[in-house]
Amino acid sequence: MSTATVESHDTPTDHNDHGTSTGISNTKLAMWTFLGSECLLFGGLISTYLLYKTRRGPGPDNTAIPTDIFDIPFTSVSSFVLLMSSLTMVLALSALTRGDNPATRAWLLATAMLGGVFIGGQVYEFTSFLREGVGFTHNPASSAFYTLTGFHGVHVSLGIVMLMSLFVASKQGKLTPKHTETVEIVGLYWHFVDVVWIFIFTVIYLIPVE
Amino acid sequence: MAITEEPLALASGGASNVERPLGALTRPKGGNGWRDWLSTVDHKKIGIMYGVAAMFFFVVGGVEALLIRVQLAAPEGQVLSAEVYNQVFTMHGVTMVFLFIMPLAAAFANYLIPLQIGARDVAFPRLNALSFWVWISGAVFLNSSWIVGGGGADCGWFCYSPNSGLAFSPSHGVDFYALGLQIAGIASLVSAINLIVTVLNMRAPGMSLFRMPVLTWMLLVTQFLLLFAIPVITVALFLLMFDRLFDAQFFNPETGGDPLLWQHLFWIFGHPEVYIIILPAFGVISEIIPTFSRKPLFGYSFMVFSGIAIGFMGWGVWAHHMFVSGIGPFSVAAFSLSTMFIAVPTGVKILNWLATMWGGKLRFTTAMLFSVGTVAMFTIGGLSGVTHSLAPADTQQTDTYYIVAHFHYVIFGGGVLGLMGGLYFWWPKVFGHMLNETLGKVHFWVMLIGFNLTFGPMHILGLQGMSRRIDTYSPGFGFEFWNMVATIGSFTIALSVLVFFFNVWKSRRDAPNLPAPGPDPWDARSLEWMIPSPTPEHNFDTVPTVEGLDEWWHRKYGYDEDKRVVRIATIEEAAQDGSAQGVHLPAPSFWPLVLALGLPIIGYGLIFNLWLCVVGGALAGLAVYSWALEPVDDPDADHGHDDHHDDSDGDGDGAEGGE
Amino acid sequence: MPNTLTETTTVSDMFKIRGRLPGVGLLLLFGLLAAGCASDAELDTLDPQSEVAETIWNLAFPVFILAGVVLVLICGAVLYLALKHGVRTYEGDDEFPEQISHNNSLEIAWTIVPALIMAAIGVFTIITHIDINGTDDNSITIDVAGESVEWEPTIVVVGQQWWWEYRYYLDGSQIETADLGDPRDLPPADIVTSGQFAFPTGTEVELIITSRDVIHSHKIPALNGTRDAVPGRYTPWKIEANGPGVYFGQCSEFCGLSHSRMRMQAVAMTDDDFQAWIDMQMSDATFDESLQGYVDAYRETGVGSVDDVENDALRGLDVFTTQCASCHLVGGLNDLVNGETYDGADTLAGSAPNLTHLANNTTFAGGLFNLYNNEDGSLNRDDLAAWIRDPNAVKANRANDLPDGVLPRGMPAHNLSERQINDVIAFLETLGPRPTDERIAATEVE
Repeated sequence: MSTATVESHDTPTDHNDHGTSTGISNTKLAMWTFLGSECLLFGGLISTYLLYKTRRGPGPDNTAIPTDIFDIPFTSVSSFVLLMSSLTMVLALSALTRGDNPATRAWLLATAMLGGVFIGGQVYEFTSFLREGVGFTHNPASSAFYTLTGFHGVHVSLGIVMLMSLFVASKQGKLTPKHTETVEIVGLYWHFVDVVWIFIFTVIYLIPVE
Repeated sequence: MAITEEPLALASGGASNVERPLGALTRPKGGNGWRDWLSTVDHKKIGIMYGVAAMFFFVVGGVEALLIRVQLAAPEGQVLSAEVYNQVFTMHGVTMVFLFIMPLAAAFANYLIPLQIGARDVAFPRLNALSFWVWISGAVFLNSSWIVGGGGADCGWFCYSPNSGLAFSPSHGVDFYALGLQIAGIASLVSAINLIVTVLNMRAPGMSLFRMPVLTWMLLVTQFLLLFAIPVITVALFLLMFDRLFDAQFFNPETGGDPLLWQHLFWIFGHPEVYIIILPAFGVISEIIPTFSRKPLFGYSFMVFSGIAIGFMGWGVWAHHMFVSGIGPFSVAAFSLSTMFIAVPTGVKILNWLATMWGGKLRFTTAMLFSVGTVAMFTIGGLSGVTHSLAPADTQQTDTYYIVAHFHYVIFGGGVLGLMGGLYFWWPKVFGHMLNETLGKVHFWVMLIGFNLTFGPMHILGLQGMSRRIDTYSPGFGFEFWNMVATIGSFTIALSVLVFFFNVWKSRRDAPNLPAPGPDPWDARSLEWMIPSPTPEHNFDTVPTVEGLDEWWHRKYGYDEDKRVVRIATIEEAAQDGSAQGVHLPAPSFWPLVLALGLPIIGYGLIFNLWLCVVGGALAGLAVYSWALEPVDDPDADHGHDDHHDDSDGDGDGAEGGE
Repeated sequence: MPNTLTETTTVSDMFKIRGRLPGVGLLLLFGLLAAGCASDAELDTLDPQSEVAETIWNLAFPVFILAGVVLVLICGAVLYLALKHGVRTYEGDDEFPEQISHNNSLEIAWTIVPALIMAAIGVFTIITHIDINGTDDNSITIDVAGESVEWEPTIVVVGQQWWWEYRYYLDGSQIETADLGDPRDLPPADIVTSGQFAFPTGTEVELIITSRDVIHSHKIPALNGTRDAVPGRYTPWKIEANGPGVYFGQCSEFCGLSHSRMRMQAVAMTDDDFQAWIDMQMSDATFDESLQGYVDAYRETGVGSVDDVENDALRGLDVFTTQCASCHLVGGLNDLVNGETYDGADTLAGSAPNLTHLANNTTFAGGLFNLYNNEDGSLNRDDLAAWIRDPNAVKANRANDLPDGVLPRGMPAHNLSERQINDVIAFLETLGPRPTDERIAATEVE
C-alpha cells in the first residue's frame, strides 16, 4: 500500500522557508521562541532590581547604592555604541544578501567590535563602582544591579562569539548568500539583546530614584 | 525527496558497516545496542528513555513517601530524625515533581507529538537528545547529594528563604537542589523550544491547528508554559546560589533582602508548573475517553480554548500560595478572585469529558478506568482547591494537611492516574504488545483504593489542625487514627506499583504467545494508530494528508444516508504497513551526551572546587564545538551546514544546522 | 478468560465500583462532620471560638457543603454513566452511538453558570476578607503600675527558632511598625513572655507579627487563622476569644528542625484575671530571704555567693547565673548587672525566652511540654530535667557541636550534673506565681 517516497517538507533538516506549516524556517522560529523565554528571564531580573534599587542595607558601611554613583553621560555613550551595532548588524545582513563578502565581513567585525566596546564600557563602569566600594555583595541594590547588567553582558559576549564565528566562516568562504537566514537569526538575537539594554538603561539609569 | 544512498545516511530498519571517514566527528550509526541508545536522536527512543527514567524516579520518590508515612504512622515517631525527615520530605517533593511527573509527560510528548502531527521526528533531533541527557544528568546530580553532599536538600521543595540561606541550611543539600534544578531546567526549556517549533512547523499537510488532537494541543500549551516559567525559577535559583556562593544580598533580611522576593519568583514559576503537570494528563484522557466511548470528544473547540485559557490564567494566580505571607489585603483579594475564576475552564473540561461519555458505549479497559478515575479524583482535588481560593478560609487551611490532600488529589489523582492510563493505551504502539488487561485492572483498583486511603483522610487531618511539613506530632490532638490509615494506604499504593512492574515484565514475557496488536488495537482516532506497532523507525511510509479532525477515524468510518456510522475501510486496508525503505533519518550523535556530562561537573565545581568548573566547561565547550562541526546527516544536500558555535550553556540559541 | 484485546470488565463488575467512588465522597463528608465532634482536637479549625474564626467558618462551611454537593453530583454522574452505558466489548457491535461532537449553547451555559457561581462566592469572600482584615479602634482601661492607662490592645508577636515571644507595650500609645526597627533590637517592652500569652476575652487584640530569623507562622485555629512571621516585616493580624480558656496553636510555616515542636497557647482571661496577670508580669521576680542575699550581691558585682550549700534553690540560682543568665533574662536578677543592661542572647536570633515568671506558664520549651502534671498539678520534673539535660534530644536544634563562629539556634546542653539540674529546677520553681489549677487542667499538650 505504501510507496517508498516521502514528501519533502517532512525532513527535519529543512532550512527552507517554504515547507513548514508556518512558512518560517524551524531555526528562525526556534530563535523567536527562545527570545520569548529570554523576555521572562530579563523580566525577573529587572523586577528584582526594581524591588531592590533603593535598599541600601543598614549601617553606615552599606549606604551607597548604584544609583548614587552612576555616570549617565558615560553610560549613554556606551548605549549609543550598542545601538549602532544593531545598525551595523543590519548592514552585514544586507551585504551578504547581495553577495558582497568583504562588506559582510567588515560589518560583522564592526558589530562585534562595537559590542566589544560596550562590554569594555561595562567593565570600566563595574571597576569604578568597585573602587567606590559598591561591589556585588555590598547591599541588595548592588547585588541586583550587577546581576542584571552582568547577565546582559554575558548575553552580549555570547553574541560576539557568534558574530566572530560568522566572520571566520565568511573568511573560509563558507558564508554564502544561501546563509542569509543564519545571519538573520544571529541578527535577531543581537537586536533582542540591544532592545533589552534599552529597557535596562531606562529602568536602571534614567528613571529617577526617590 | 530522493532516497539517499549516502553511506552516512541511516537506512530504515538496518545498520550497515561502520565507516569513520571523519574520525571522532563521524556520525555514529543507529541500531539497538547500548551505544546506540546513548547516541540516538530518535524521538521515540528518547521518549522511551524519559519514561523508563521517570518510572525509576517514581520508585525513588515513592520510597521517600513510604519513609514519611512510616515516620508519621504513630505520634512521636522515632524512625527518622528531624534532620533526616526534612531531607526525605524535601527530596520526595523534588523527585516527584521534577524527576517523575514532568519527565513522564515529556515521554509522552516526545514519543507522540511527531506521530500525532504526521512528522518524521522533532524539529531539532540532537537538541532533543540533549534535553534528555541534560535532564538525567541533573537528576543524578541532584540525588548524588545523598552520597557526596552530606544528605539531601532539607529546605522543602519550595525552599523558602531565609531558611535556604547558608546560616540556616549550612550543608550542601540546598546547593545540590539549586544547581540540580538549574540543570534540569535547561533540559525543559530546550525541549519546550523544540516541541513548539515542531508543532507549529511540522504538521502534515491539511493539519491546521484546529485539526490537531487535543493531546497535542495540551502538550503545546504545556510547552509554552514551560518556555515562560522556567526562566523565572532560573532567576530565583541564580539569586539563591549567588547568596550562598558569593555572599550576595538578595535574601538577607538584615541588609534589606526581602524573603518574599523568593516566594514571588518561585510561585510565578510554581503555579504555571502545576498546569504543566496536569495539562498533559488532560490531553491523554481526552484521547482515551472518546476512543472507549465510541464518540468524538465533546466540544473540541471548548476543550482547546479552555486549555489555552488555563495556560493564560495560570499566570495570574500565583500569590494564592502567599495569602498569609503578609502581601497586603488588596493583593490577597485580587488573587483570591482570580483563583476562583480559573476553576471555570477546568470545570468546563470535566463536563465535556462527562458529555463525551454520555450516550456513548463505554468499554472499561484499563486505560479507560484510569481516565475516568482521573476525572473523578481531579474533581475532588479541584473542589478542595476552590475552597482554598477563599482567602479567609485559606487562613485556616494553608500549611495544613488539607493542602497536602488537595495537591495530591490533583497531581496524583489527576496527573499520575491520567498518565498511567496513557501508558496502558499507548504501550502497544511503543512496544508492539499489550499490557495485560487483568493485571492492569488490579493495578487500577489497588492504586485507586490506596490513593484514597492515603490522601482522603488528610482532608480531615488538615481541618483538625495538623500542620504540614512536620516530622512528628504529639498524641492528644486527635491525629493518630487517620495518620495510621494514610500509612496503610501508602503501602497499598506501593503494592499497586509493584503490580504494574510485574505487568510490564509478564506482558513482555507473554508477548510472543499472544496475537500481535497490529496498528490499531483500540480502534482509535488519531494518526499514530495508522502505522504499525511498534512504530517503525521512520514513522510514516508516506505523510498523510489530513482532511479533518480525527483523521484516522474518518479513514475507517464514514456516514450513510441516515447519518449512521458505517465502516468504509478495515484497519488493515487503511493503515500503513511500515515497509518504506531507505528513508532519510537524522543521524545519531554522541555530542549531546558529552555536553550533558559537562554540566554536573560544573555543578560539582561550584560546590567543591572551582577547577572542576573549568573541566566541566571545557567538556561542554568541546561538545558544542564538535556538535557544530560534525556533518549533518546528508552532506550532499544543497544547503550546507552551519559552523558557528552554540553557546556553552546549551540552551539552543544561535542557529545550529537544523538539528 | 476474556480476550484482553477486545473484551473487558463485565457490567456486573461495574457494581464493584458502586462502593468506591461515592463511598469516598461520603467518607470525606462524614469525616468532616465527625471531626467536629472530636473532643481532643485542640487544633481543630472547625470549632470556632471567636468572632474572627466564626466569620471565617461562616464563609467556609457553606462552600464546603457546595463542594460536597458538586462532588457527589460529578462522581454520581460518572457512576451513572458507567453503569448505564458500559459494554463488555465492541466486537460484533456495528452500531455506533450518536456521534454528537458539541453543543455550543450547552457549553456556553456550563461556562457561564459556574462563572456566576464563582462570582457570587467571590462577593461573599471579599466581604469576609474585608471583615477579618479590618481592625477596631478599640481600647481598654488597664492599671499599669498604679496608673490608669487607655491601652489599645496590641501584642507584638516575635517568632524565632523554635519558640514564640510576646511583647506588650502598655504606655497607651499606638504602636507604629515604623518605630519598631529591627526585630532583634525591639524597644524595651513592659511585658515579655514566651510560649503563652494572655489577653482579655471579648476584646479584639491586634497582633503585629514578625520574626528574628526564618519565616514562621502564628496560628491559633480556634481563634484566628494563620499569619506568617517574616523577618524584616511586621504583619498585622488580630485575635479575640468569646470566652476564657487556653487555646492551642502550632507554627504553620516550615522553619527547620523543630517546626513540628514550635507551639504556643493563647490564654483568654476575664478582665479581672487579665489585670491581675498584668500586675504580676510587670513586677520583677521576687526572691525569698534565702535567695535575696545572693541576688543583691549579683546585682552589685555580677557575682553571688552560695553560702548555704543545703539550699537547693540557692545552688540552683548559682547555676542559673553562671550557665543560663547570659541568654535568659529574669527581671530583677540579671537585667541590670554591673550597670549594664541585658542585651540579648548569644544565639543566632539573638534572643532566648524571658524566664521572669516561668512558673506562671503551664508549658515550657516553646509551648511543647506541660510544666505541670494534669493529674495532680505537680511540677513536671521529668520533662523539665530532660530538657535541661539535653535540649537537642527532646527538641532537635542546632545548638551543640557547632563549627567556630557559628551561633546556636536553640538551647545548647550545658553538661550539667544531675544535682545541678535538680537545683536549677528548684530555683526555676520559685519564678512564680503558680498558675491556677484550672489553667493547669486546661493545658494538656501531651
